[in-house]
Amino acid sequence: MTIPVACCTTGMVSILYLETVDNKLYRVPGWPRLGAFMVLRFILPLFVALIMVSMVAADTSKISINSAPGYGELTYQLPEIGSYQLPALGKAANGEVLIPSGERRMLHDLFSDKYVLLAFIYSTCSDVNGCPLTSHVFYKIKSAMKRDPQLANSLKLISLSFDPEIDTPSVMKLYSNNFRYAGSVGEWQFVTTASPQSLEPILKSYNQVILRKTDSKGRTQPGYSHVLRVFLIDPQNNIRNIYSVDFLHHDLIINDVKTIIQQAQQGSEKIGFTAVSQQTARLSKPGDNKHGYEQSSYVTDSLDLPLRKGQAADLLSIASDPPLGLPALPVPADNPLTKEKIELGRKLFYDRRLSLNDTFSCAMCHVPEQGFTNNELAMAVGIEGRSVRRNSPTVYNAAYQKLLFHDGREENLEQQVWGPLLAKNEMANPSVGFVLNKVRQIEDYSGLFQAAFDGKGVSMETLGKALASYQRTLVSADSPFDRWHYAGDTTAVSDSAKRGFALFTGKAGCVACHTVGQQSALFMDDQLHNTGIGYRESMGILPEKQSLTVAPGVTIDIDRAIIDQVGKKPATDVGRYEVTQNPHDRWKYKTPSLRNVALTAPYMHNGSISTLADVVDFYNQGGVPNELLDPRIRPLELTDQEKQDLVEFMQSLTGSNVDTLVADAFAAPVGDVGKGDPSWVHGSEVEVR
Amino acid sequence: MIPSQQKLLPILLFVFLSIGMASADSEQLGGDFSLIDHNNASFQLHQLQGKLVLLSFGYTYCPDICPTELAKLAVVFDTLKDQTDRLQGLFISLDPSRDTPQVLRDYVGYFNSGIVGLTGSEAAVDQVARQYRVKYQRREHEGGGYTIDHSANLYLIDQTGSLAAVIPYGMPAEHIVDLLRGMLAGDG
Repeated sequence: MTIPVACCTTGMVSILYLETVDNKLYRVPGWPRLGAFMVLRFILPLFVALIMVSMVAADTSKISINSAPGYGELTYQLPEIGSYQLPALGKAANGEVLIPSGERRMLHDLFSDKYVLLAFIYSTCSDVNGCPLTSHVFYKIKSAMKRDPQLANSLKLISLSFDPEIDTPSVMKLYSNNFRYAGSVGEWQFVTTASPQSLEPILKSYNQVILRKTDSKGRTQPGYSHVLRVFLIDPQNNIRNIYSVDFLHHDLIINDVKTIIQQAQQGSEKIGFTAVSQQTARLSKPGDNKHGYEQSSYVTDSLDLPLRKGQAADLLSIASDPPLGLPALPVPADNPLTKEKIELGRKLFYDRRLSLNDTFSCAMCHVPEQGFTNNELAMAVGIEGRSVRRNSPTVYNAAYQKLLFHDGREENLEQQVWGPLLAKNEMANPSVGFVLNKVRQIEDYSGLFQAAFDGKGVSMETLGKALASYQRTLVSADSPFDRWHYAGDTTAVSDSAKRGFALFTGKAGCVACHTVGQQSALFMDDQLHNTGIGYRESMGILPEKQSLTVAPGVTIDIDRAIIDQVGKKPATDVGRYEVTQNPHDRWKYKTPSLRNVALTAPYMHNGSISTLADVVDFYNQGGVPNELLDPRIRPLELTDQEKQDLVEFMQSLTGSNVDTLVADAFAAPVGDVGKGDPSWVHGSEVEVR
Repeated sequence: MIPSQQKLLPILLFVFLSIGMASADSEQLGGDFSLIDHNNASFQLHQLQGKLVLLSFGYTYCPDICPTELAKLAVVFDTLKDQTDRLQGLFISLDPSRDTPQVLRDYVGYFNSGIVGLTGSEAAVDQVARQYRVKYQRREHEGGGYTIDHSANLYLIDQTGSLAAVIPYGMPAEHIVDLLRGMLAGDG
């Protein structure tokens, strides 16, 4: 059977499709325009007969129409109701409208605490995929409301005319009359406005641009050009979805309505993934740690800066008496901790003006709520998106490190700070003097250095000492592990974590490098080791294809050749060798502490491993064999349970004060360019952001 | 503002105001009209008193909307076969220069022999279109010929000849059937 159907946009001949039972589409030229009536006369009877067949037997035959999806069946499967989120897209604006009786009403009053579908229409609209489409889809929704009392009670359809001159209240009444006799269940209201002047602010707030149609000679045509949009609005007047012609379909809309109703009923209960479940680290939520990103249900957990609640902490006290499990704090004799220095260092740490172009602070790679590292990047990215070749190390417990940087090239924090300040792919300052000169000119630093350093002004020494002082106070321990191991609280950790610790010190041998002492533990040995990760990178040993998740639930495999074509070749990295020039030190990197390790993903010097479970797998297989592989790294033959126990143990290493330190960071001022600051651009006047 | 512009302003204001007045909701929608039916006989809407009337506008060269709309009407009348004597379908041509009564009769006949095609002078047709607020405009095509852009609502006229409802284009036949059944039942 062949079923032809005509279709179009306004007044224009368009393509007809004939669909046969074998589902092949045959394209037929547009209908003859003029003088072809004879042809029409012959084919029309057949054509009409076929339309009739298709209409009468609508259930059994498919109508193929060159029109919007809203007229047909959905060609894709909808996600399960409640399995996705529709965050508010903004507020649905209010405005004065006229109801069919001619009375004035506020739009929000018409919403009457229901879920509302709002469409803009005009009654002389003749574009099949314009206003008639919304009528068709609304009719389908209204039919569904007849069958579904919950939908009927909670949903309302409103068609608002944007042609008040033609669509007077009496015209709107004639529309409403459609349902006086054909089913009143499922409320569908037709409203208009008193004048173009009262309509205009409504159109503007809903971003509906309406243009009079004109022909090629500039003459006005009947009708309007407009972009079809239907708004889904919740009872709190939030816009929850906006449907355009390609998405306007009754099944999709009903799915959305049911989803937001269900989620409203479940109260504020959030769906999605829970961030690292650390009761003591509620604030440590990576914005997008990509956990669960491979699933389409992924939702971001990013915190808006203004939503952060800061609470300053007494960092000096914390550092003076480090939490359970940490040894006394090593403080250089020439830089004793003082409140003033810590506060000054904290101000510097969050100051974007410390970078060449005033955009990049220390905290942008050492993000407080992301474990003072960056959970979202394997390798850091500096100003202007410049790639850094290694992973940001955490600042937690940096005070205890005798060697700094992954290759251990610095020995104290006072000197270390100048590395990132001057690296051209990090904060990119051209020189020490440049930084000092700039800070000296920033008004809000005036007097602070002198107060903290006995009258000494901004210098290479004082700036380093101030930043070091703040970082030195970020000590964190008193973890569940510490309370169990050092304070004898047997309930502090799970049995699995206890077994994990036994493996850590026994069969798995981790403790050889991640050392644990009698009174305290730093889980590091201040040494550098070759695990094979660096070797693998240097040799370019990479899989043929790489999976890339480009959006939640959308993962594609990309050929290495394509990545090589578009990607920048990774910078060479031979680790400790770069410092010592000793060939035996190739691909050696510093042992990191494991304290707060659950908060500091991704792992390894290049961030190449995303989860602790994968880290355990890596060591279980014996690292990457190479001639310089550390002999302590060997296949471990751990069972699945043992691997899980090791992960459980590492998750018990999160300190009890991390929330305190993160909240303190949130309370710190974020230094940004202000009036009177020196500009980095040619010494010109500063443009205040 | 230069003097000539000052003179222009009141004139412009007057023009705008006149346009505004003309399109105000002063006159009643719908109402009786006189045209010529497809048998070349004169036709007045009030002849159909006592019947429900479904009124549509279009033209026979219409490539798209009109055939689908008429086919939909045919389905409606076919479904309500038992009520034929209480219903009447009308199709008013917006293209009287091409749609002679003969052409119209053949055309509507392809869809449903009960539907009556109506035409008349350009002025008469335009008058009816204004009464029902139908927008239409000729669109000339390159290389000759033209089509007519027009709005495509259906008008439901009750047994007394007054406009009872405007049915948006896009509503399916089942809705129109429901609507007619409801009105016929309410009528007793």
